[in-house]
Amino acid sequence: MGGSELLQFVISGLKNGSIYALVSLGFTIVYASTGVINFAQGEFYMLGGMFSVWVFATFGLPLPLAALLGILLTAAVGVVFELLAIRPRKDGDQLALIIITVGGSLLLSSLARHFFGPDELALPAFTAGPSVRLFGAAIERQTLWIWGLTLVAVVLLNWVYNKTKLGRAMRACAIDRDAARLVGIDTRMVVTVSFALAAALGGLAGLSVAPLTQTAFDVGARVGVKGFAAAILGGLGNPIAAVAGGLMLGLIESMSIAYLSSTYKDAVSLGVLLLVLFVRPQGLFTRSRKEKV
Amino acid sequence: MRAKLLRFTPMALITLAIAAGPLFIDDRYLLKVLTFVAINVVIVTGMALLFGYAGQISMGHAAFYGIGAYASGYATTTLGLPWIVGLFAAIVFSAVGGVLLALPSLRLKGHYLAMATLGFGELMKIAFIEAQPITGGPDGLGGIPYPRIGSFEMAAPVGTYLLAWGIAGLVLLLVRNVVTQRPGRAMRALHGSELGAMACGIDIVGLKVRVFTVSAVLAGIAGSLYAHLVGFVSPSTFSLHLSVILIAMAVVGGSGSLAGPAIAATLLTLVPFADAIIPGLSRDALALIQDWEADVYGLIIILVMLFAPGGVSGFMRRRRAVARDAS
Repeated sequence: MGGSELLQFVISGLKNGSIYALVSLGFTIVYASTGVINFAQGEFYMLGGMFSVWVFATFGLPLPLAALLGILLTAAVGVVFELLAIRPRKDGDQLALIIITVGGSLLLSSLARHFFGPDELALPAFTAGPSVRLFGAAIERQTLWIWGLTLVAVVLLNWVYNKTKLGRAMRACAIDRDAARLVGIDTRMVVTVSFALAAALGGLAGLSVAPLTQTAFDVGARVGVKGFAAAILGGLGNPIAAVAGGLMLGLIESMSIAYLSSTYKDAVSLGVLLLVLFVRPQGLFTRSRKEKV
Repeated sequence: MRAKLLRFTPMALITLAIAAGPLFIDDRYLLKVLTFVAINVVIVTGMALLFGYAGQISMGHAAFYGIGAYASGYATTTLGLPWIVGLFAAIVFSAVGGVLLALPSLRLKGHYLAMATLGFGELMKIAFIEAQPITGGPDGLGGIPYPRIGSFEMAAPVGTYLLAWGIAGLVLLLVRNVVTQRPGRAMRALHGSELGAMACGIDIVGLKVRVFTVSAVLAGIAGSLYAHLVGFVSPSTFSLHLSVILIAMAVVGGSGSLAGPAIAATLLTLVPFADAIIPGLSRDALALIQDWEADVYGLIIILVMLFAPGGVSGFMRRRRAVARDAS
């Protein structure tokens, strides 16, 4: 395989990897504040794309505004889901919360089918024009958008986490929820905010990829599994590791297409998920902790 | 003696009513729907064991259902083996799959198992599509014969109905014996607290692997029944959607009971076939029910977990407690 062909696969891997990274960040944020894997995370990805297409096509708004509204509407769904389905289960029983998010995933995707219809929808590219050439490989303009938006989202999230009062509260919650409550942090608010952020990130991923791959009511579950695979690959609960895991998973998938066949792309990432779960469930970049009574 | 009689009378009556079903139901469609109910009772009993007793969750049971269906279908069509060998193959392959998945993942906590089973389910779905020589690929595997022992064929609807309910009854009886004895107590301890159970000397990993394998085998048996009832299997049946519906049945059934999940499986299975039990239901009404089925299942899962975590079995326990207080 020539250098430029390989570069093409690397570019495509980093493109998908950025999407996985955003979804994986959503898992990580909710996990940090609740200790629960949100099985509905993939549906936020689906909703981001669907809301943007809907706003764009129905109200004829300019694309950037439609995208922004898509993110905000998805975040709003995340908040409503948390308030109505997560918060009322006050004991925080993990098995119950996992099952609730499983039910939420089914509910959100089937409601989306009723609201947006069963067909595949697409968004126009953010900027029209030919691909950018780089050492013989082509980079679609939308891919540049995906990278740029992912970078902006990660930098913003990092800033919120490290520099704001809200971020401090979220980090405190991640370390110990009860202790955080004792020092006066509104932990319930932190959970709601983390759902809003996770939904917004998933929505951003869904709408920025919508011009390249069409979107439909049932795309959430598959991306959800990949995002989780990315999160577990890096190590749950660590945002930087989640991004690294996403990019790695994208590259692994891309290389499996390059050297094996595109048929096994999904099988390879599912295999990575199972392998990491079985061999190193704490992730590649995190040290394991023993469970305490 | 009288108390014992009182306890077993309802069971005996229900068994009798189910066994006598074909005598007074001559609607072929209804009998087929009721056969599906029996198949789902078998698989949900396994889910109940896993979820309601051991406190674990699987999002990949559709895969074991599929393994059972394909193993049985392949053995009886391509290999031309007798039905009983197909059923045996379904049991063996689903057991092997169950052990292989359970051994590594049950060292992990709840959500890891859920994700591992979800990943396994999706992986198996790809395998069902890609392993064309065995599974027939996306087009599926057809021409699977009715169950037959020697020259005695159990054809649909009456033969398969009796077979499926016979197996469902046997499974319920066996599993009931398991949960009322020592393993059942160990499972409940596990549900309460893993560390606590470990401290009591319970081999929690071994127990979880065994429970998971039994539930996988029950799904495999159900899959074999399904394959021989319908005569055709294709990959789209064994989806994540089915796994989630099975979770809905187990959750609505409630924990620590077998009757609750069996009742929940019966009710939820009948929803998309509402026209079989409600005579004169219009086509539009049925289409509406089927159109909103998934939404309703999703909503039910959330509502039960929030407001009625005991599910059907919790409701029955409360009713019994009220009756006891009244007498």
